[in-house]
Amino acid sequence: MTRVYQVPHQAFGWLVGGTLLASLPHLWSGPVWLQLSLPLLLGWRVLAHRGRLSLPGRNVRVLLLLGAVLGTFYSHGTILGPEAGTCLLVAAFGLKMLETFRFRDARVVVVLGYFVLATAFLFGQGPLLSLYVIAVMMMLTAALIGLHHPRGVGNAWRHLRLAAVMMFQALPLMVVLFVLVPRIEPLWSLQMDEPDARTGMSDSVSPGDIGRLSESDEVAFRVSFEQGVPEYRERYWRGLVLSRFDGRTWSRADNAAVDAIDYDWFPREPEPPWLHRLREARQGEEYSYQVILERTGRPWLFALSVPFTDGENRNIGMTRDMRLTHQGDVNQRLAYNVRSYPRAARAMDLDERERELNLRLPGDGNPQARERARALRAQAESDHAFAEAVLRWFNEEEFHYTLSPSRLGDEHIDEFLFSTRRGFCEHYASAYAFLMRAAGIPARLVGGYQGGEMNPLGNYMRIHQYDAHAWVEIWLEPAGWVRVDPTAAVAPERIEFGLERALDERGEGRGAAGVFSRWRENPVLRGLGDFTDYVQFAWQNWILAYDRRDQLALFEQWFGGTSPWRVAVALGIMLGIIVLPLALWILVRRPRYGPLQREYHRVVRWLARRGVRPRSGETPRALIGRAAVELPASAEPLRAWGSAFESVAYGADGGNEQAWRELRRAGRALRSPIPGRSRSRPGDGEQAHSADSER
Amino acid sequence: MAIRERARQLYARWLNRRLPPARSQQLNQRSVFIFPSSYGFLYLLIVVSLFIGGINYENNLIMALAFLLVSLFVVAILHTFRNLSGVEIRAGGYESGFAGDRGSLEVVLTAADGHPHRALEFRWPGGQGGELSVEPGEEKSLWLTVPLSRRGRIHPGRLLVRSTWPLGWLRAWSLVDLDHRCLAWPRPLPGGDCPSGGGDETEGRRIRVQGSDDFQGLRGYVSGDSPRLVDWKAYARSGDLYTKLFADPAEGWLWLEWERMTGQDAETRLARLSWWVLEMERRRRRYGLRIPGTELAPSLGVDHRREALDSLALYGES
Repeated sequence: MTRVYQVPHQAFGWLVGGTLLASLPHLWSGPVWLQLSLPLLLGWRVLAHRGRLSLPGRNVRVLLLLGAVLGTFYSHGTILGPEAGTCLLVAAFGLKMLETFRFRDARVVVVLGYFVLATAFLFGQGPLLSLYVIAVMMMLTAALIGLHHPRGVGNAWRHLRLAAVMMFQALPLMVVLFVLVPRIEPLWSLQMDEPDARTGMSDSVSPGDIGRLSESDEVAFRVSFEQGVPEYRERYWRGLVLSRFDGRTWSRADNAAVDAIDYDWFPREPEPPWLHRLREARQGEEYSYQVILERTGRPWLFALSVPFTDGENRNIGMTRDMRLTHQGDVNQRLAYNVRSYPRAARAMDLDERERELNLRLPGDGNPQARERARALRAQAESDHAFAEAVLRWFNEEEFHYTLSPSRLGDEHIDEFLFSTRRGFCEHYASAYAFLMRAAGIPARLVGGYQGGEMNPLGNYMRIHQYDAHAWVEIWLEPAGWVRVDPTAAVAPERIEFGLERALDERGEGRGAAGVFSRWRENPVLRGLGDFTDYVQFAWQNWILAYDRRDQLALFEQWFGGTSPWRVAVALGIMLGIIVLPLALWILVRRPRYGPLQREYHRVVRWLARRGVRPRSGETPRALIGRAAVELPASAEPLRAWGSAFESVAYGADGGNEQAWRELRRAGRALRSPIPGRSRSRPGDGEQAHSADSER
Repeated sequence: MAIRERARQLYARWLNRRLPPARSQQLNQRSVFIFPSSYGFLYLLIVVSLFIGGINYENNLIMALAFLLVSLFVVAILHTFRNLSGVEIRAGGYESGFAGDRGSLEVVLTAADGHPHRALEFRWPGGQGGELSVEPGEEKSLWLTVPLSRRGRIHPGRLLVRSTWPLGWLRAWSLVDLDHRCLAWPRPLPGGDCPSGGGDETEGRRIRVQGSDDFQGLRGYVSGDSPRLVDWKAYARSGDLYTKLFADPAEGWLWLEWERMTGQDAETRLARLSWWVLEMERRRRRYGLRIPGTELAPSLGVDHRREALDSLALYGES
């Protein structure tokens, strides 16, 4: 192999490092073959650079590329789409390293590096990842500087510094562009692949489902309230309504049953009568808030009852069971504005088919429970009294709220109600709804979250997966759908203070997650947790969620309109405001002090802090002489510094290494916080210094 | 063709107005041009595709990164410009050559504005390029070849100064006329009678020149050789002692005379004279030169040779 071009040494480190780090986020989640092969390819490159190994020939490279394509196809089933595409890109990027022996190739690798780096944002968008990307970008830029640097005199760290300076200078311009460059609608629709299965509410609830969620500390969503924060016990975030019961599992009513009753509505569709009635009933208590939902991979949204959207997002609709729903799955973080009117629920009617749906029980099974429901109903004066009576029963008898319920057999409800009596929220909700239906009261299960803790830093609420909860809604005349939470009858602390406290009182914990959460009770750690979550929240709110709508509002507010020419002029002016000072700074700025002046000004600053300021026209010698008189404690180090300064500035051997070392040492001794280090040898500060330097 | 020629002339005149010739000039806004390089366009292409990707995936961070890269490009414009602007370029010495060969010119660089100027590339039209960097307060020089198309005083055209430092996305350049000149000696034309006069023997005078430039070779040291003639550098290299030998010029001298070459045009005469100058040097004969307007007293050696060739080159030039 003839080596025409050797990547300069000072650039090589940044080039290889930048390449590896740019691919790292992809390696993290990428297929194993990619994880293994990329470091190998880079290692090969490094060995070739050192002359230990030769770079592969063309045939080998073609084979490797084919291998990468096959591997991608094997791992992703395609070579198109963002995941497979970036996988292939990263592999090709690594292979490119095997042929960077020309200047041009090295430069292309850097530009590809920027691109690969940017694609990391397809799979994560946290603030830490962003910092990481900036750092790696700096490295790649430093590599570019090294590549263009005249041979043999470069210093890799200086290149990194210059790259950092340039990026710092670019930042203000970037901010202006980010805020003001008009956002266009997507040119063509791109859909990310299905995200991996994640924790969160599924679309059915069987015993144990929600209990499992309680082990997760992940944030489900965050809420910032514009007005009125509900009490803890009122924080019921409804997500989905489950009307079908098969004896064990509650699930959503099937489509046929749903469509028949004009189930959902999306903006721009004609309003069904039920929605009209709900809108008319918006009175009383009102909560206005924004929910920032983490990606769920499912279509339902969480909100307080009864939620209304502002119609801005056309993909968010409302349903007859008073929920918000999303057209298509929520595959990335989603922010939506909601207004909730809890009282509006009473305006909802009960369609006959709906009543039938919410009364339906399996033909047989759980005879004891049915019998008990009939008996209690017979004793009660009204449906309302019966609902109360069942709660009282739960409350007064030996029912246990626990994360580790006993296993249940076929006669699910019966076993739970009459023998084990140990369960989590879904057991109580399920049994309660069963009893209601058995007594002829329409009842349904509601899945969602209950609770949420405020973060004092950003004044927003955080709802975790462990806040997952299930409760019941029953139809009572004339109130309509009424929320009943049987868990409250068994473990009121759960509803008042949250899961942690409820389990604590029962001597239970949430396993390992519980241990961590106990640590968080420590005020310092708690503050730290609040802070990091606040950063996440602010990042999400200000940067990730910034969109056309915010931009238009901003144009309106700042420039008084959104017409294209107005925006163009405003953008031009803002760019001018940013670029002109930048240009002046870079082009006109005189170079800063030379090293000698720097040393001098350091001492001048030190003196100024002690009240000795240079007079106009005062020479360094005169200043030092005066300072030595005014600051007798530092007189000797001052004089020592003065003579070192003069020997560098005016001496015949001025500027030689020895004189410079002496000057720096004298400066350090002068500024050292322990005065008298040089006074310990009275009378010959100079000697003390040279003795120091020999140590 | 005529249009192209006309355009070229207009461009040259415009350049002359904008960048008038001067022996020393500091590059500034007027004299520095800047435009993206092809690599810069590749970079911008990547940035645009990132921007489109950001729009399509509605991914603010990818968009923000695209904006950062654009801003970095803008910053790079300023840095690249400043890297060239402010440097002071001065015409230095020259090395003559024969017409049809190459001469070379010295360019002296000073970081007059106190900023470093890195990886500057220099080239005369038709010559080979060279690269140089200067740090603040430094002065550096660079010899660059120029093609010598004809005999005489050659104006090498405008010096191209170019740099893509620091990121290579932009190319800043300037075309400066340093009012620099290179001498092209007449290309030697062998043959012809020796256009000589004067007496070989008649006016000859023996002069032994020792330690002059007429170095001929080395021989092994023999005891008794003058220590001044020992090649100490060779001794330091190899440890063996050698004595330097210097040629004795042949006896007498002769005059190379323009007037004796009849029936030939001026350039041919100059070319033949040029050849005879070299020939005399080769034979180690002392020679003088008489051409219209110039007379060189007989002598021998590198300096004399250059003087002779220079006066041949300058024949008829103002």
